[in-house]
Amino acid sequence: MEPRSREREVGTVSAPVLTEQTAPVVSAARPVWRDYLRQPSAWLSVTVLGLMVLLAVGAPLIAVEPGGTGPDVLQPPSGRHWFGTDDLGQDIFAQVVWGTRTSLVIGVAASLIALVLGTAIGLLSAYFRPVDAVGTVITDVMLALPTLPLMIMLAAVVNPSVWTLTVIIGVFAWPEVARLIRSQGLVVTAMPYIDGARVLGATAWRIVTREILPAVISLMVVSVLLTASRAVISEAGLSFLGLGDPDAWSWGRILLNAQRSGVVAIAWWQTLFPSLAILVLVLAATVAGMRFNDIRDPRRNGG
Amino acid sequence: MARFVLSRLLKAVLTIWIAITATFFLLRLLPGDPTTLMVEGDMTPEMQAALLRTYGLDRPLWEQYVSYLRELFQGNFGISFRQIQPVTDILLDRLPWTLLLAGTAFLVTIAVGIPIGVYAAVHRGRWADRVLQALGIGGHALFVPSVAMLLLVYLGARLGWFPIGGAIDPDTRGAAANLSLAHHLVLPVLSLVLVQLGPYALTLRTNMIEVLGEDYIRAARARGLSASRRVWKHGLRNAILPALTLMGLQLGTLVGGAVLTETVFAYPGVGRLIYEAVGQRDYPVLQGAFIMLAVTVVIANSLTDLLYAVLNPRIRL
Repeated sequence: MEPRSREREVGTVSAPVLTEQTAPVVSAARPVWRDYLRQPSAWLSVTVLGLMVLLAVGAPLIAVEPGGTGPDVLQPPSGRHWFGTDDLGQDIFAQVVWGTRTSLVIGVAASLIALVLGTAIGLLSAYFRPVDAVGTVITDVMLALPTLPLMIMLAAVVNPSVWTLTVIIGVFAWPEVARLIRSQGLVVTAMPYIDGARVLGATAWRIVTREILPAVISLMVVSVLLTASRAVISEAGLSFLGLGDPDAWSWGRILLNAQRSGVVAIAWWQTLFPSLAILVLVLAATVAGMRFNDIRDPRRNGG
Repeated sequence: MARFVLSRLLKAVLTIWIAITATFFLLRLLPGDPTTLMVEGDMTPEMQAALLRTYGLDRPLWEQYVSYLRELFQGNFGISFRQIQPVTDILLDRLPWTLLLAGTAFLVTIAVGIPIGVYAAVHRGRWADRVLQALGIGGHALFVPSVAMLLLVYLGARLGWFPIGGAIDPDTRGAAANLSLAHHLVLPVLSLVLVQLGPYALTLRTNMIEVLGEDYIRAARARGLSASRRVWKHGLRNAILPALTLMGLQLGTLVGGAVLTETVFAYPGVGRLIYEAVGQRDYPVLQGAFIMLAVTVVIANSLTDLLYAVLNPRIRL
């Protein structure tokens, strides 16, 4: 019975079942990735994301961790200092490279927290009516509230570190994931094969984890990318307001330093380069997510 | 009508109550004794106990919660740690500036976004449409302080067209004061509009394309109505409705953006207040600012929903 229900699922939902181990479904999933990377914007953004990861991992090899003061104060970009220097004589290029670590770690970790919470709440809402009533109200409330002031308030009370920021950002990013997963989950729950599984005596836990979850996995890939891009922006915002980890470099912190030392109007390089870094990373993650969404749902390709 | 308004009002009250309750319990569940947040330096245990008693922090949590709700209901947000002044007074002093900034950005985004979205929908697939699609995706990647600083440096400092900080020139009176107000508003509003506009116009375009394919638009064409009448009179009205809801949902993001813009331009609103309170670790102000902004967003959201109901020909109130 198991393989038959899978077949139906692939045929009707057109979701790639990445968890399946039998040969036919794996071969059905493979062209999705091939089609995906055939789009120039998709492979370009995946390449950019890959380079960013390399930059973050290899930061100590690329640049010395910025600290202390240097003799070259407020130098424009040159061969010695590619992105110029700040008012303490620190190298902006080194700050941007080291900031990549913080942005990526918080972006990925926070979006994973949001993904786990959002998927759990979204799936439970889609399958259990009573949960849906409560879940939808909470999701709507969270979406209606101004998240940044809420995160500021909490971040100000706890000791800001990379991990507390990750938790705060992740905990407030789940509602959008929950909404996406719930709407897709509702479509799947209404399908005949779910009724079939129920008639065969499958437990609710089994239906949710084995039948509905595989059908929303591709949507989870999309939301992890989009949530990560929003998390990067949130982290930059909190750091810009002085709530970043004082021991870790961050793109928001470079902008804050420029703002605090009053050199925004003079040292264009101190604001331009971290801004470009945010733009490139977030754009790459967003485009990667959107292109994956196009390929996930072939009906949208024409529109 | 009364029933719809009532249900919307209930939803708004529920949202605000959840926001306040979550804030209260989150702040108390987080690690850290409230006295360590209040006073710097060492305190003897007796002093700490006395301080806790003064603020009622030794009572059971639910009693504190009830009295907190009662105080909030009477408009009492507590006393600022740094400026010995009621938080309510400080907030009410700053709120009008944020309302002016965010409200103007909201209206400008709608006013500019609608023609752009409609134009792209009508000229679907042409270059203008392609540019909008790129900008719509790119808008998600814009960081508000980056845009604000760019505008500040080029249009403010280099070209000197606009002031680079503050909200008004204090020496001006009458009409000159209004002019100065508008002049100071341009760059902060522009930073918010540039970030919001692309995604907003793109959504409007998508709605519009969907609407233009509907039967009643084809029927209007069959009746011989001109293209511009079909688009602007019949199509737009139905495309605007979902776009209005979307803009209402974006209000939270808009307010978050206002916090960042105000920080860059030293604009004296709630956002700049938050930035200053973060530097001074002034918790009552931060808490009050969040609740005040949440209430503002929820009220604005309810108004958007009411406007939706009034404009939607399918809903008869």
